[in-house]
Amino acid sequence: MTVAKPIVLAEDNPRDAELALAAMEDQNMSDKVVLCRDGAEVLDYLYCRGPFASRMKVNPAVIFLDIKMPKVNGLEVLRTIKADVNLRPIPVVMLTSSREERDLGESYALGANAYVVKPVEFHQFVSAVKELGMFWGVINEPPPQGSGSGQ
Amino acid sequence: MESATNQQPQITLARTGESEPHIAAGPPPGDDSFWRVLIVWFGSLTIERRILAGFSLVFSGILVISAVSYRNTNRVIANSGFDTRSHELVQLLSNIDVAMNETENNHRRYLVTGEELYLESYLSVVKEKPTFIKYLQQLTDGVPEQHERVMLLDRLMDQQLAAEARAIATLTDRGFGAVKQMVLEGAAKQEVAQIHRLVAEMEAYEGQALHRRVLESAATTTNTIVLLGLGALLQFVLLASVYYLIRHDITERRRVAAELQRRGELLEAANKELESFSYSVSHDLRAPLRHIDGYASLLRKAVTDSLNDKAARYLQTISDSAKQMGQLIDDLLVFSRMGRQEMLQTAVDLNRLIQTILYDLRLDLQGREISWTIATLPEVSGDPAMLRQVFMNLITNAVKFTSTRPIAIIEIGIDRPTPGEVVIFVRDNGVGFDMQYAGKLFGVFQRLHRMDEFEGTGIGLANVRRIVHRHGGRTWAEGELGKGATFYVALPMRRTRS
Repeated sequence: MTVAKPIVLAEDNPRDAELALAAMEDQNMSDKVVLCRDGAEVLDYLYCRGPFASRMKVNPAVIFLDIKMPKVNGLEVLRTIKADVNLRPIPVVMLTSSREERDLGESYALGANAYVVKPVEFHQFVSAVKELGMFWGVINEPPPQGSGSGQ
Repeated sequence: MESATNQQPQITLARTGESEPHIAAGPPPGDDSFWRVLIVWFGSLTIERRILAGFSLVFSGILVISAVSYRNTNRVIANSGFDTRSHELVQLLSNIDVAMNETENNHRRYLVTGEELYLESYLSVVKEKPTFIKYLQQLTDGVPEQHERVMLLDRLMDQQLAAEARAIATLTDRGFGAVKQMVLEGAAKQEVAQIHRLVAEMEAYEGQALHRRVLESAATTTNTIVLLGLGALLQFVLLASVYYLIRHDITERRRVAAELQRRGELLEAANKELESFSYSVSHDLRAPLRHIDGYASLLRKAVTDSLNDKAARYLQTISDSAKQMGQLIDDLLVFSRMGRQEMLQTAVDLNRLIQTILYDLRLDLQGREISWTIATLPEVSGDPAMLRQVFMNLITNAVKFTSTRPIAIIEIGIDRPTPGEVVIFVRDNGVGFDMQYAGKLFGVFQRLHRMDEFEGTGIGLANVRRIVHRHGGRTWAEGELGKGATFYVALPMRRTRS
């Protein structure tokens, strides 16, 4: 059970990022995680721009997207992804602190594949991240590469 | 004007200091104090009473003017009636004067000629005299001076006619020789002259009266015209005031409407701000809590071998506190959302609602012995999810605060029927509360028990009250320490659709 494709984690808060990585460490998934510090970086990664210009042109297995991020927020990233024919198949999981109905509704309306509220309790947070990583990175069969941006 | 004159002494007082305080303090002479009292009284009235007083004043002014004008007009009409009478009187008097004169002349001719024809005017006067006198009396009715003169005239005419009658008798008895002297002098020459003078006097009197009345009528008419002008002015003032008041009222209404709209916009802006605030709270406050708990856990994991019991407990406390604060934030957000959320208005079957709640609570109720008494509840109108929250909170409270009882008794029923509302209560035999804290029960984060007695954030009843208030209802509670508590929810009666 190896993770073939990278997992994109969009998280502006370094502590949250560290905790998430710590949670995925046990599953040996952490080395597959590409950490983006804001929405613009996520888009740079997906479109192989800037620092990611030379990366392997392969779509990630899943994108974990925080909503409140500097520059480009999660919902705007989501809108861009789902509006792009090549990026649309990538599963997007909203991983956020917000429980607001407005955010939930808008995320699903834009085509988010899942919406997870980060639990305050660390154990729950760890198990949530583990399960998410396991499900989307391992169990779930990703879309065929034919629909990826690298082609 | 009044205030201007009042200012004067005060300025003097300010300049001269206390040397002449009586200038300001001394009562103003004459009517001035009356006006001052009136103005002070007027100033003490409310605006409505001032308007009423002003309108009453103007209205009574118009009434008085109308009454006086009416009286004046009547007087002018009466005067013109008197004038007609005067003219008739003068006419009649001159006729009488002429007739008496003619009678005397013809009488002399008769005495000279003995021709019966000349007696006709004498006979006709004798015949007509009572009618004349009666008419004269009528015309001079109410004027004593003239009336007396009429009596005198009556007597003089009688005397003339009597003198003439005597002359006729003498002529018949003793022939022309006996009346020769009379013929020369005239039988009633003296009376005729007196009648003539009297008639002239009466005519002069009537002429004067006529003149007086003309002057009086002219004065009255001028008076009436002035009064009517004043009345018109008052009516104009009245109309102008009404116009001003209506206009003022409309302007005021417009202003209030604009103000309301402005406040509505402010409120909307405030609500938006609150929303973004609670959004921030929900997102930003949770993150540090997660970090506290997360790093505490990571720390525990990193030092797990060298951790003694005390240190482990400290770490646990850090984690627990973070979790508790997370719960508080979540509750606060729910409470804030309860106030803003759109409300549905549908029929809610409370029996069904309670049954679902009990079903959902079945896991929590395991291992507890609870005797439930649930009455048949009515249908109410409201938001099903919100009402569910209300009864969920009340029932979980009842379950929670009876946890120390070997057998919990929980009763859900309807209080005595009140017109227009349904009062539902949830009663338990739990730990109860002291009635002196009853006012605090429904406050946000108000707790009457220590954390180690009963857990909870203290938001449940605040939510209950907020939801019930939004439904237009009321909440209250009764309880006794150690004996149990009863929570009441009064909801407006569902209107039956007609």
